[in-house]
Amino acid sequence: MAQYIEFSGIGKAYPGVQALKDISFRASEGRVVALLGENGAGKSTLLKILSGDTQPDEGKIIINGEENRIASPYDAITKGISVIYQERQLAPSMSVIENVFAGDLPTKRFGVLDKKKMLQTTQEIIDKFGLPIDPEDPVGRLSVAYQQMVEIMKAYRRDSKIIAFDEPTAPLTDTEIAILFRLINQLREEGKIIIYVSHRLAEIFQITDEIVVLKDGRMVKTMVTAESNESDLIRAMVGRDIGDTYSNLSRNENIGEVLLEVNNLNNDMVHDVSFKLHKGEIVGFAGLIGAGRSEVVRAIFGADPILSGEIKIDGEICKFSSEKDAIDRGIALCPEDRKDQGLVMWRDITDNISMPVLDKLMSGLFISRKKSEDLAERAVEKYSIKTPSLDKIVSELSGGNQQKVILGRWTSDLMDTRILILDEPTKGIDVGTKAEVYQMCCDFAKQGIGVIFISSELTEVINVADNIIVMHNGHITGEVRRAEATEENVLALAMLD
Amino acid sequence: MKKTLIKFSKGKGVTLVIVIAVVVIFFSILKKEYLSWDNIRGIMYAMSLTGTITCGMACLMMSGSIDLASGAEGMMGGLVCAMLIARGMAFPLAIVLCLLMGAVFGLINAFLSNVMNFMPFIATMAMSSVWQGVGAIISGNSTIMITDRAFWKIGATNLWIFPLPFIVMVVLLLVYGWLISNTKIGRQLLLCGGNRNAARLAGINFNKISTIFFVNNGVIACIGGIILASRMHNGTVGNVVGAEMDGMVAAIIGGVSFLGGGSSGMGVLFLGILMLTCFKSGLYIINLNAYWMVCANGVLLVIALIVDFLRERARLRSLKAAPHSQKS
Repeated sequence: MAQYIEFSGIGKAYPGVQALKDISFRASEGRVVALLGENGAGKSTLLKILSGDTQPDEGKIIINGEENRIASPYDAITKGISVIYQERQLAPSMSVIENVFAGDLPTKRFGVLDKKKMLQTTQEIIDKFGLPIDPEDPVGRLSVAYQQMVEIMKAYRRDSKIIAFDEPTAPLTDTEIAILFRLINQLREEGKIIIYVSHRLAEIFQITDEIVVLKDGRMVKTMVTAESNESDLIRAMVGRDIGDTYSNLSRNENIGEVLLEVNNLNNDMVHDVSFKLHKGEIVGFAGLIGAGRSEVVRAIFGADPILSGEIKIDGEICKFSSEKDAIDRGIALCPEDRKDQGLVMWRDITDNISMPVLDKLMSGLFISRKKSEDLAERAVEKYSIKTPSLDKIVSELSGGNQQKVILGRWTSDLMDTRILILDEPTKGIDVGTKAEVYQMCCDFAKQGIGVIFISSELTEVINVADNIIVMHNGHITGEVRRAEATEENVLALAMLD
Repeated sequence: MKKTLIKFSKGKGVTLVIVIAVVVIFFSILKKEYLSWDNIRGIMYAMSLTGTITCGMACLMMSGSIDLASGAEGMMGGLVCAMLIARGMAFPLAIVLCLLMGAVFGLINAFLSNVMNFMPFIATMAMSSVWQGVGAIISGNSTIMITDRAFWKIGATNLWIFPLPFIVMVVLLLVYGWLISNTKIGRQLLLCGGNRNAARLAGINFNKISTIFFVNNGVIACIGGIILASRMHNGTVGNVVGAEMDGMVAAIIGGVSFLGGGSSGMGVLFLGILMLTCFKSGLYIINLNAYWMVCANGVLLVIALIVDFLRERARLRSLKAAPHSQKS
C-alpha cells in the first residue's frame, strides 16, 4: 500500500488568534502537495506542527494508518520527516560532508569518526543528484541555492520519507530554481511525500500535483493542480467577507497638493521606485513579504542608503544623511517590528513618547518631568491608551496600546509630522483596535498629513488607502485607486512574475 | 523623598544593605580590626578608586558598551602625570593634560567600536594591552616618584572624617546620577542602551551618545589614576590595572544591566561599590592568601553575572508574557 501522511482536523490557537482550524488533508507517496495561502494564512504554523516545533491543540496526524504525535524536532526526524526552512540550518564553516551527517555522525570503535564512510555516502548522494559540489568544501562558500541542496541532501541521507519545503525558491534565481525543481522531481520519482509551501502561483503549476488552499487558518479548498487555473486559485485565496469596518470610516475628502515625490529610487533592495504622496492622502503599499515595501520607506527615511534617485518634499530635493534629518523634515516612521525597532520595551510610556522631542521638554538645562508627563498624558487621552499610569513600562501594555504609544509619539503636538509612515501598523493587534487604527489614519489625513500605509493584509490596504501601490521583488508592479481595487487585481499584481 | 524611599525599599537597595551588613558582621567577628578606624579609612580609600572607575564604566554599560581598558587608561593617567611632574611641570597643568589624554583614549575606543564597528569588548581589550605596553615603554618599567608635596595633598586631604578622594567619588556619583535622570543626554543614553534601533529611528544619534560616554569614561579613569598617584606619591605601570574588573563587578552588583539600558539609580550603585570593597577589605584583613584573593575576585564576578543573567531572564519573560497580560 502506498505510504501517506494525513492531517485530520488539526487546530492550533495562540493567545488571541486562531492560527489553524479544521485542517484535514492527505499527502501520498510520489506526490507533491502545495500549501498555498496569503501571509498569515497558517502555512508556517502547519509546518511547525509537522516539524514537531509546536503541538496542535486538536486533531490527529496519521502516518500510514497509524496515529502519531510529533513531540519534538528530533522526534520528527526519527519518524522520517524533514522540513527545509528558508533560513538554512547549516554550519557555514563546516564541510558539506559534516553538514550532511550533522546530528548523526557515524563512528568506528572508541568514538573515532568514520570519515571514509562519510565521504563515500556524501559523494554518492552528490552523484545521484548530479550536483557540481565538492564534498570537502565548507558550506559557507557555496551559493544560497547549493546550500539548499545540502539541506536536501541532509534529508535524503536521513532517508526521510516526508520532505517539506518552506518557500524554497524565495532566494533563488531562475536557473537555480530549475535545478531545485529537477531535484524535487527526482525525489518524487523515488516515492517521497513532498509538501511544498509557496505563494508563487507559477511554480505551483510547474511542480505540484495537488493544492491545498489555506485562508485565515482554515482550509478553503483542495484541488488537483492539473484541473485548476490561476484565477480559481486567487479567488480561493482571497474570498472572504469584508465587514462594515471599512464603510464606517470617516475619510478625508480634501486631498491637497503633492507633498512627497519619489523618483527612480534605487538601492540593493529597491529598484526604480517612483510615486507621489499628496497632502491628506493615504497611500497604501501592498505586496507579499519580501516585496521591498519596508525597504522603500526605510530608504526614504534615511535609514538605508540610496544608490540613485531623488526624494522631493514640497518640490524641493532632500538628501537625508541620517534618520534625524528625515525627522527634522517632518517624516515619521512607525517601524514594522514594534519590539525591536519601535519601542524601548522596558522604559515607561512617558519616555517612549518623549523620545524624539526631548529638546522641547527642557526647562533650563534639564528635562522637565512635568512637561514630559503632560505630553504623555495628552497622548494617552487622545488615543485612549489603556494604562493604569504613565510610568507603566511599555512591555506591559497590549500590542494595540503599544502601537498607540508609537503613534502618539509621532503625532504629538510637539512634533511637526507631515509625512507619517506606518509599516504594518495592525500586525499582532486585535480586531477592535485595528478599526481604531484605521480611523486614526483617516484622522491624520484630515489634518493634512500624508500617510504611507504598508500592510500585508490585502483587505486592509485596499480599503484604507486612497491609492494603492503594489510591489513585487523590489519593483512597483502597479498602482490602483481604491475605487478600482479588488483583492483579485491587487494580488495578481503582487504575484506578477 | 518618600517616593524615592519606597522605590528604594522595593528595589535591590534593601537586599544590598542586608548583604553588606552580613559581610561586615562576618568579618568583624573573624577579626576585630575590621571595624577599626584605620580599616574603615582603608575601605574609603579603596572605594574611591573602584567607585571612580565604576562611575564611568556604569554610564558606558547603560549605553550598552563596555571599556575593558579603563584600568590601563587610569594607569596611564597616573603614570604620565607623575612623569610630567617629575620633569618639573606644575601639577595643575599636568593634571589637565592627563585628563585630555583620557579623552583621547575614549575617542580611540569610540572610533574602534562605532566607526570601525568592532565589538567594544574586543576593541577595548586590545587597547588595554596597547596602553599597558606603552606605559612600560615610556616609564622604562620603573616607578616614577613624585616629590611635589602640593600634589600629595590631593590624596591626603580630609574633609571632616572623609578623605578627599572619597568625596570626589561621591560627588561624581551624585552628579552622574542627576545627569542621567534629568538631562536630555542622560535620557538618550538610557534609550540607546535600551533599544539601539528604536533610538536611532527616533532620531537619536547613537554614535554621538556612545562617543561622549567613551570619552567620559577615559577622562574619569584618568581622574582615578591621578588621585591614586597622588596618594602613592608615584606613578607606576602596576597601578590601577585590573580596576576595570572591580568597576564592572561593582556596577553589576549595583544594578546596572550588563546588556544596557537598565540602572537602579546611583544610590544602589554606591551600595554596590561599598559591598564589593567591604568584601575585598575583609578578605585582606583575614590575611587570605593572595592567590585566593584573585580567585575570590573572579568568583564574585561570576556570581554578579549570574545575578544579572537571572534578572535579565526575568525581564525578558515579562516582555514575552506582556501581550497577553492585559487585554485591550
